[in-house]
Amino acid sequence: MKKFLAILLAAVMVAAMFAGCGNKADNKTKNTEIVIGFSGPLTGGASVYGVAVKNSAQMAVDEINAAGGLNGYNFKLIATDDQHDATKVSTNYANLMNEGMQVSLGTVTTAPGEEFKTLAKEDNVFFLTPSASGDKIPEFDNGFQMCFADGNQGAVAADYVNNAGLTKIGVFYRSDDSYSDGIYKQFKDNLNDSIEVVETSFTEATSTDFSTQISKLKECKFIFMPIYYQPAAVFMEQAKAEIAADATYYGCDGFDGLAGQLDLATIPQEVSMLSHFDATATEGAAADFVKKYTEKFGTDTLNQFGASAYDCIYAIYGALKQLADEGKDVTPETSASDLCDMLKAKFTGGYTLAKGATGTDIKWNADGTVDKGAVKYNLK
Amino acid sequence: MSKLKNIKWKHYLIYVVLIAVTCYFGFFGLQKNLNRITTILLEKAAIAMILAVSLNLVVGFLGELSLGHAGFMCVGAFLGAKAAVALTASMGPGNELLVLLICLLVGGAAAAVCGVIIGLPALRLRGDYLAIVTLAFGEIVRSLFENLPDEMFGGSLGLTAIRFERHYLFIVGFVLVIITLAVIQNLIRSKHGRAVTAIRDSEIASRATGINVTKYKLMVFTISAFFAGIAGVLFAFTQSKVQPTTFDYNYSIEILVMVVLGGMGSLPGSLISAVLITYLNEELQIILTGDLAVLRGLMYALVMILLVIYRNAPGLKAFREKWSVKNLFAKLRRHDPAHIHDDEAKWDRVPTKIMVDEVLSVDVQTKSPYDPDSQWKEDT
Amino acid sequence: MNFLETLLNGLSSGSTYAMIALGYTMVYGIAKMLNFAHGDVIMVGGYTLYVTAVTMGWNPLLALLMAIICCAVLGVTIEKLAYKPLRGASPLAVLITAIGMSYLLQSVAQIIFGSADRMVRLFELGKISIGSFQISAYTVVTLVCSAVIMTALTLFVKYTRIGRAMIAVSEDRDAAQLMGINVNFIITITFAIGSALAAFAGFFMVLKSPPVNSTLGAMPGIKAFTAAVIGGIGSIPGAMLGGILMGIVESVAQTNAVIAPFTVAIEFSILIVILLVRPSGILGKKRREKV
Repeated sequence: MKKFLAILLAAVMVAAMFAGCGNKADNKTKNTEIVIGFSGPLTGGASVYGVAVKNSAQMAVDEINAAGGLNGYNFKLIATDDQHDATKVSTNYANLMNEGMQVSLGTVTTAPGEEFKTLAKEDNVFFLTPSASGDKIPEFDNGFQMCFADGNQGAVAADYVNNAGLTKIGVFYRSDDSYSDGIYKQFKDNLNDSIEVVETSFTEATSTDFSTQISKLKECKFIFMPIYYQPAAVFMEQAKAEIAADATYYGCDGFDGLAGQLDLATIPQEVSMLSHFDATATEGAAADFVKKYTEKFGTDTLNQFGASAYDCIYAIYGALKQLADEGKDVTPETSASDLCDMLKAKFTGGYTLAKGATGTDIKWNADGTVDKGAVKYNLK
Repeated sequence: MSKLKNIKWKHYLIYVVLIAVTCYFGFFGLQKNLNRITTILLEKAAIAMILAVSLNLVVGFLGELSLGHAGFMCVGAFLGAKAAVALTASMGPGNELLVLLICLLVGGAAAAVCGVIIGLPALRLRGDYLAIVTLAFGEIVRSLFENLPDEMFGGSLGLTAIRFERHYLFIVGFVLVIITLAVIQNLIRSKHGRAVTAIRDSEIASRATGINVTKYKLMVFTISAFFAGIAGVLFAFTQSKVQPTTFDYNYSIEILVMVVLGGMGSLPGSLISAVLITYLNEELQIILTGDLAVLRGLMYALVMILLVIYRNAPGLKAFREKWSVKNLFAKLRRHDPAHIHDDEAKWDRVPTKIMVDEVLSVDVQTKSPYDPDSQWKEDT
Repeated sequence: MNFLETLLNGLSSGSTYAMIALGYTMVYGIAKMLNFAHGDVIMVGGYTLYVTAVTMGWNPLLALLMAIICCAVLGVTIEKLAYKPLRGASPLAVLITAIGMSYLLQSVAQIIFGSADRMVRLFELGKISIGSFQISAYTVVTLVCSAVIMTALTLFVKYTRIGRAMIAVSEDRDAAQLMGINVNFIITITFAIGSALAAFAGFFMVLKSPPVNSTLGAMPGIKAFTAAVIGGIGSIPGAMLGGILMGIVESVAQTNAVIAPFTVAIEFSILIVILLVRPSGILGKKRREKV
């Protein structure tokens, strides 16, 4: 009897559950605003990036709307939370499409982006990701990046090392992370064979005590660290007295946020990073962005991910504006697929964002990667 | 006809419900007329149900704790995806369903082999050790797939999978749920199943009765792993990229929560709670944003602790019996001798559980209402 | 990079594992349960250090004392609320409750402190020079501390009334009860000591790596349990040996660029192999199960 009740209950529950979902094909409500959506880690360990993107994109949207929007049409931003987990993307994407998403910022991080790009390809939705830097993210024609691809970062770093006249360098990377692993592989491929590499790595499960790696890297005067800021901070603190004071730590955009994690003044070594955004800029669009962001959200989540998202919104706005001026149909009722075709043509056809927080004269290559200058700047 | 009369339909109600759900949604699915969110929910629910039922076999019926269920799933997912890529390349398009079937077998078999490997040390170990060994197995598997060379399984970037046509995959999923349920339920109802539950209740006693404990433990582990592998393959076909990070310790725990919530040793319970938790996960992912997202974890932890204490605490035994639904019904129908506790009345839970303490300190009740002999004596 | 240096690094991280493993082994030996939440007690210790030493500005050693007290109280509370009602129930139920407890602690910590790292910087240990040879003071301190703790625990168990009662309870709980030993009290004491050791380990972990977050103790906890099993669960010197072994394996594996990514896989494989070859661990006693 108990079982019978349980099963009956289950049947009722299942029915009720799915009845709420409806079984018609996606019938989205009519938009009154142009909807931009994305999926990012708003909670969890990588939330600092997701929140930065959400805040900055919202800031850009508000500015554009305050200035009259796109020929009177306002923009609307929808953020969904994927906790940096690829399995959550399909639900987020379905919800975004249900909300009437027309243009997307893709995902904030690479792992979920791998899933997102396929889903977006199936529906032909245009996305311009601020920070999913995986090499394969712009694999399909509808995907574009605002940040440098990992391979590009690795190649640029290798180029720098090749020309710096070093004979022996150290590498410290995280082997079970696609970002770190991806950059390092490209770095290794582009490095001159004559340079001796001392390779060390860690995994998520061994990320608190780096003594062994530090001992191994002791002799190196240049250490390439394509990792995120949290383990980098731990490494630097543990290596303070071990590694020569005149050594250089060279990181990629993952170093962003380092200053919030530790007091860089206490680190004797030189710390520099390759980035498209200089948070210490005193003039130009980057400085404007920093000022506006700090006023609104403080400095906790100020990083290049946000700056990049800010530029993404403006890039999309600029492109749509040009399309509208050319007399194309760009309204809240235009379908995502039509918009995608127009935007694709625009972005591969020499469209330029003249001035952004992450660079000037930003252009896109035919393969979806970005073409702009990288800044190598010293964090201290 | 007389045979049909003997079938107790309520015993098959769970299958009826499952088939009805499959047909109902399958109808819309085949017409490509199904809401995307519902489709994703159905896919995830099917995967969760297979996982929960197969874990219940180990936890509920064998009485051993396995914390590496996601590890078996991981093996299935990667090998299934690898096979899918190879098969699609050699067989060409048009054979999707055949490819899927072969991959399911490949993934399931690979996971089953791992089940044997893990089952072997399990034979020598008691509960807590086994929990740790399975946990270690999950971590080893994940770490291997993450760090093996990219050419083999894609490394940390994950393996590019072949996505099955979304409108139909859940039908395959539900068919697999029904198969899993039928196989496991029949196993438990068989002579072998009784041996398994006997091992759960007293390993030493069952050894003494001549049950081959080694054989049965290994068998249960292998079968459970096989179905976990199948769930993994199914999962791989819903994704465009299989990433090792998905199959972490937390995933195993989530499956365990489903089993605990549904009731250890209750297959319909596992099905219900798998659907319920999948549904909650999907809903809460949208509703709980920001810091609230942690509440989900808190809720699961509390459910797990409170339920286990309530159902197992020796101090709460009297309370449990007073308020249990089963006993309330028993009270209502006490006069009916047809409802004597026999094995047939509970066809999916085999009541071999005998508390040793109770046996040792038997208070011989001469006039138990449940004892047919005493009834008979009274009558005469 | 010489071998001695690797060995010393291994010893230093191994002593931290040993401290955690000691807590596991005591609780397992006496309460006969695998306290999954032990690793998360370390995390609570870390956050206590954060609140006292960083936000309130206490002296680090005072903060450590506070962390020890908090963790001991927490350990005893967990035992009373979650594990005691299940005494006499199946080991499976206890194990699942312990896993739930571990999750509960992590979720609560995340609700209170958020998911971002909290930085706990206490003080810096420099280097000690012996002639031309330099050794990190951290290595020396952790090694000495864990050795002292192990010796003290061994002496405590061997020569005090409570300690002997502990042995009695671990040998045969019912017989101990019949002999007039307050089993509940002994188990409470065990949890208090185990959790205090977790706080100690947390202190050393934070000293090495300042970020504290809700999963701080999860991985070290699992590794330390592995260490306790390798050394022989229930054996105090075994926990120490297992911990040190674990640290050295980790350190040696990380020196080779090819096998470094597989460090965790290697550590856990050792566990499986040891359990296959010698299920009672290196120093563990073999027990027969009786009805």
